[in-house]
Amino acid sequence: MIDTFHYFLMAWVDPHLLLLTALGTLGGIYIGAIPGLSVTMAVSILISFTFAWDINDALALMVGIYVGGVYGGSRTAILLNIPGAPSAVTTAFDGYPLAQRGEAGRAIGLSTVMSVIGGILGTVILAGTAPWLADMALEFAPRDYFLIAVLGLLLVSTLSGKSLARGIFSVALGAAIGLVGMDMVTAQPRLTMGNMQLLGGIHYVVVMIGLFGVAEAFYQLHNLNKVPVKQKVDKIIPPLKMVLKFLPLSMRSGIIGVVVGALPGTGGDIASLFAYDHAKRSVKNPKVPFGEGAYEGLVAPETANNAAVGGAYVPMLTLGMPGDAVTAVIIGALVIHGLNPGPMLMIETPHIFWFTVGNLVLANVFLLIFGLTGIKIFTRVVEVPKAILIPLILVLCVVGTYSINSNMTEVYWMLGFGLFGYWLKVFGFQMGPIILGVILGPLIDNTYRQAMSSVGDSGGQFLLDLVTNPLSLVLTSVIVLVLLGQTPAKAWFNGKLKRQA
Amino acid sequence: MNDNRERVKPGEKVFDWLLLLFSGGLLYEASRIDGILPSLNSPGSFPVGLAVIMIVASLIILFSHRYKRRDPELTTAGDEFKAFLAEHFQPHIIVFSVFSIAYLVAISWLSFYISTFIFLAIMFMYYRGGKVVSSLVISGVSIAIIYVLFTLVFRVYLP
Repeated sequence: MIDTFHYFLMAWVDPHLLLLTALGTLGGIYIGAIPGLSVTMAVSILISFTFAWDINDALALMVGIYVGGVYGGSRTAILLNIPGAPSAVTTAFDGYPLAQRGEAGRAIGLSTVMSVIGGILGTVILAGTAPWLADMALEFAPRDYFLIAVLGLLLVSTLSGKSLARGIFSVALGAAIGLVGMDMVTAQPRLTMGNMQLLGGIHYVVVMIGLFGVAEAFYQLHNLNKVPVKQKVDKIIPPLKMVLKFLPLSMRSGIIGVVVGALPGTGGDIASLFAYDHAKRSVKNPKVPFGEGAYEGLVAPETANNAAVGGAYVPMLTLGMPGDAVTAVIIGALVIHGLNPGPMLMIETPHIFWFTVGNLVLANVFLLIFGLTGIKIFTRVVEVPKAILIPLILVLCVVGTYSINSNMTEVYWMLGFGLFGYWLKVFGFQMGPIILGVILGPLIDNTYRQAMSSVGDSGGQFLLDLVTNPLSLVLTSVIVLVLLGQTPAKAWFNGKLKRQA
Repeated sequence: MNDNRERVKPGEKVFDWLLLLFSGGLLYEASRIDGILPSLNSPGSFPVGLAVIMIVASLIILFSHRYKRRDPELTTAGDEFKAFLAEHFQPHIIVFSVFSIAYLVAISWLSFYISTFIFLAIMFMYYRGGKVVSSLVISGVSIAIIYVLFTLVFRVYLP
């Protein structure tokens, strides 16, 4: 118990870690807010610079950027009607009308407080459930990991866009990229096209920087000359009465955020959509209608997207599966530092878990401080013209990619992935599922083959195990339900239920 | 009559056909591991499975075009091609693409700092419609920040 407290407070008492967390949170707010920059892009580029760092330093900075970045998107959503991050899309629905009514300051203040409440709620649930879940995960067989990873990929593909087929294509493409290189069991080259340089595989950070950095930079060229509308900002700190009034909705939205965030592959963007929908259904008579500046429409998504941060850490720290694209990068940081994300993390290196929990709370404290101050400087910084920002993003991508292995070939690959990602993005494919495919693909391959080996390569026995083992049966049933939910069978079933009612 | 069907973007069909072709190429590459029908537990089973999934997904995407329609203003394939070029091959996108490739090639010849300075200066001047002095100053300041941040603070190797 004393050890737990010691680990929890590590970032709070070490000035160096305190500074890194503060810098990360402040930087994250700006990165999340500046349209064209994203948290995933920042963390992807940053991971390559922190290879040589102490793991605590690297995690402190990344946690700060993550927490700050998820919140930062709301600032530009409210002030400019341009969500700085996907998780702030719903914030703009009511945030921008509030700003147009002259209540930009109040909207920013309330979104800050609600984001902190969501962030802390998410962290408390992470601290409460992760140790228990990790204990349970120790009992998982390879086939269960296989099923969880398959479920994760299915959820990514079904929840992350308008077209299921495009989602499935994206995750399969990502998984194929993840498999390029030498097979770990037989040392056979796979998908290398006879190229010796690909035997070592494609570093997933190269793919990430290409897809999230370069592709985004090219995509932003379409909005090069978009001029934002300035808003007047005052009265930032919200009255306590107002906060208390929205607290019940905030708590409900926070729980939605944690649950959605914890599903492999779903993050703050989907959590905020679900929470906004919940607010619309549950708040019967808002003072102002939703979409025209309802505070409820601001509270729900802002609490949920920050609560999803804590949720996203749950599968990452307990199962070694990323909750979203950012935690996918953080998994990479842990692996690079010789750690083992998954149930063994709690046993082998419990300090990393409690350090992360303490760091998340600390980052939320800094979020409250930075969120309620410095708005005037902020409004100037986010007006950085894209004409300056976009070439700089490319330079940062080059530096970030080269620093992984000091290899120019990887820089060319990065540009190639960036251009490919641009075209995918143009035609409605999302980048997040591809990255999660890169991470989860090799995991599915390994666990599937382990599971097959454990049943003597018998396909029949493998299928039998899926329905005779209680946990495997539950997971298989969920996968079948998710699949059925995407077919006409769902509409038929709903129709039948309605007729019976 | 009001047609609410989703619009197909100029070039989307061709791109989706290319994805199908790419998926077919991937299946060929995957089949070189252990054949087109590998045993259930072999290095080739998962790659072949993925390639098949990509082919099926591509076919569904192509099939979904039946429920979409072209912009009414684009009556012929030639119109669509022109709209595609107008949207994605605007001068500022082409310039950025060409200079990005040239920049990566130049890094090996000119050193990172010189090529980055030239790349940034040209891009800033082009996108800001001139403003030579301020573009050179911003490029110089950016290089200084990159040096301090990455060489002194992060201590990473630069190209």
